[in-house]
Amino acid sequence: MRHLFKSIGLAATLMASSAYADTTLKLVEVITSPSRTETLQALVNDYEAANDGVTVEIISLPWGQAFEKLATMVAGGDVPDVVEMPDSWLALYAGSDQLASLEEHIAGWDHGDTLTQKTLDMARQSGDAYMIPYGFYLRAMFYNKKLLAEAGVEGPPATMAEFMEASKMVSALPGKSGYCLRGGPGGTNGWIMMAAVMNGTNEFFTEDGKSRLNEPGSVEGIQFLLDMYQNGYAPRDSVNWGFNEIVAGFYSGTCAFLDQDPDALIAISERMPAEDFAVIPMPTGPSGKAFPTIGFAGWSVFKSTEHENDAWNLVAALSTPDANATWSKHVGVIPIHEGADQDPHFQTEQFKGWFDELNGAQYEPTIMPTYLEQWGYFGSTMVIETAQEALLGQRSAQDLADEWAGFLTKEHAKWKAAQ
Amino acid sequence: MITRKHIVTEPGGHRARRSLYWQYAVEPFFYLSPAIILIGAVMLMPLVIGISYSFQSIDLLRPFNTGWVGFENYTKLWSDRKFWLALENTFWWTFWSITLQFFLGLGLALLLNTQFYGKKLFQALVFLPWAVPTFLSALTWAWLFNPVIGPIPHWLAALGVLSEPYNILGDPDLALWGPITANVWFGVPFFAITLLAALQSIPGDMYEAAEIDGASAWQTFTKITLPFLAPMIAITVMLRTIWIANFADLIFVMTGGGPASSTQIVSSYIFTTAFRKLDFGYASAIAVALLGILMVYAVLLLVLRKKLVKV
Repeated sequence: MRHLFKSIGLAATLMASSAYADTTLKLVEVITSPSRTETLQALVNDYEAANDGVTVEIISLPWGQAFEKLATMVAGGDVPDVVEMPDSWLALYAGSDQLASLEEHIAGWDHGDTLTQKTLDMARQSGDAYMIPYGFYLRAMFYNKKLLAEAGVEGPPATMAEFMEASKMVSALPGKSGYCLRGGPGGTNGWIMMAAVMNGTNEFFTEDGKSRLNEPGSVEGIQFLLDMYQNGYAPRDSVNWGFNEIVAGFYSGTCAFLDQDPDALIAISERMPAEDFAVIPMPTGPSGKAFPTIGFAGWSVFKSTEHENDAWNLVAALSTPDANATWSKHVGVIPIHEGADQDPHFQTEQFKGWFDELNGAQYEPTIMPTYLEQWGYFGSTMVIETAQEALLGQRSAQDLADEWAGFLTKEHAKWKAAQ
Repeated sequence: MITRKHIVTEPGGHRARRSLYWQYAVEPFFYLSPAIILIGAVMLMPLVIGISYSFQSIDLLRPFNTGWVGFENYTKLWSDRKFWLALENTFWWTFWSITLQFFLGLGLALLLNTQFYGKKLFQALVFLPWAVPTFLSALTWAWLFNPVIGPIPHWLAALGVLSEPYNILGDPDLALWGPITANVWFGVPFFAITLLAALQSIPGDMYEAAEIDGASAWQTFTKITLPFLAPMIAITVMLRTIWIANFADLIFVMTGGGPASSTQIVSSYIFTTAFRKLDFGYASAIAVALLGILMVYAVLLLVLRKKLVKV
């Protein structure tokens, strides 16, 4: 018996000492696919090879339930060291003081200088830099060269008026439509962008906290999309289209224009010859400006980690120019370091649209007000349902704009009161 | 007096009364207690908690900021246009799904109850949809209705049902027929399997006797087959109705409730209210309303079953 106790004691001491010597970091990814996890694992393997004694455990949460699952993990005390943070959750976690500020780490980092200003702006949305974004989901306009030529359109449109005209001309071809309208899931960005471009501003609220979505210019923008659909310049069933449908509508040659993020390029370039399509910046409105929506995700470190330096080193390793280039090519985002556009992968006619948009003064990327508590409901349910009613002619653009603006004004007041 | 005293003080009698009490009031529940505890824990508790949620204000992002609001959620429900629309959709969705599933399933069961060449292969094929995950069948059907990739709109247009090959999932007047079609395809095997089992349990001599008596095929069907099937029909229709009324998977994947809420049923409305709006109190109130409606339906059907089944 004494022998048994002795050996148990010895084993416990050994385990404790080895646990003390080795560090295990828990990395949670929230937007997953098997091939994406494989790419992440390869980058993590490089990090582990360079950092002796540190192992990284990757936990993949499926995106559909990621929000609830991560919240439950954190609330239950099973807090990861590093997490993949989408823009829409940043305010929530940074606001509840859960994330470590990365400002000092970035200041002392070899590659901190080459981060673009936009990257830092996004990182600092909630005050300090609570994340290093890994890339941007920026809207730009795909167009089908063959269809435009067939319809007799001279060149890709630069303004909203030209966009409407070109869509009209393409729709005159039998069985073809101008625009791959996204009336279903994920369609909110389109409505917001159109309202902003016709209103000439991408501010969501006036100084006294009123939503600008029902100003006359915004209503005109909403009407623009309604006209597109009701005049038959978008396919009839696009009222229900989500991501897969609009992308299929574009690569099958059903419609000539598609506004999407670079991640759509992955599916499209697999099915369409590169010379048949290109990407241009979003058309500008009467003010001479366009406001493509921009989204991002990145890496954050939880404040509660016992290994903040190791956790930061992992984030830094995932964010070096090389690692970021690999990652952004695989995931389909715009990379975060200056000079990334010199990479041959990004020097195609397709990527030109996004880099022109990022560098052109007339293009102002729009960040959604994800800090509003009910933004998720607004974007994923309310806008879609009510916009579909308007597309089907059951209500007017003004009616729609008033309902949206009323909701957002109320949400903004709630947010303001909580500050 | 003496007798009474005798009874009260007699130790054996006292024991007899105690054991009677033990035998009828305590012992059965003692043996049943594991089942009672289990049912209480997994069914009744969540039910009671769910119902209590419907009288509270519950916000997922601020879990401690809850409070009792009385009937507020229910008054809101009464004047909620979307709820009534969803209720109407739930009715049509359930009615057409169950009707088509039942009659096609019955037809298939009658067919499979006969002998023909290649029956086994046919039987396997008929039961296949039941084995396909709903998510996959919803996705497949959604694409079959898409005119860019799927053939159905082109067939419907060629038959003159549609003016041009377009996606009915985008047409508010026809959209519900998309998920209903997928649901019928998915659910027919269930009726076919259960009704076939019931058919095979009908004694063969009944049919022989009917044949000797010179009964027509219709008479045999209505006087023998149907009465024997009735108990099974009543129970399967009841179960499937409740199931289909709650079954939002196909709708969620194929149309997401759209366009313009034209395919939103009550259970998908509960989901969006709870997990998009994060308003669990109101979602619970809708759920309780649905529960009430389905319970009334179940009671009606059980009464009907009692009247129908006389065998």
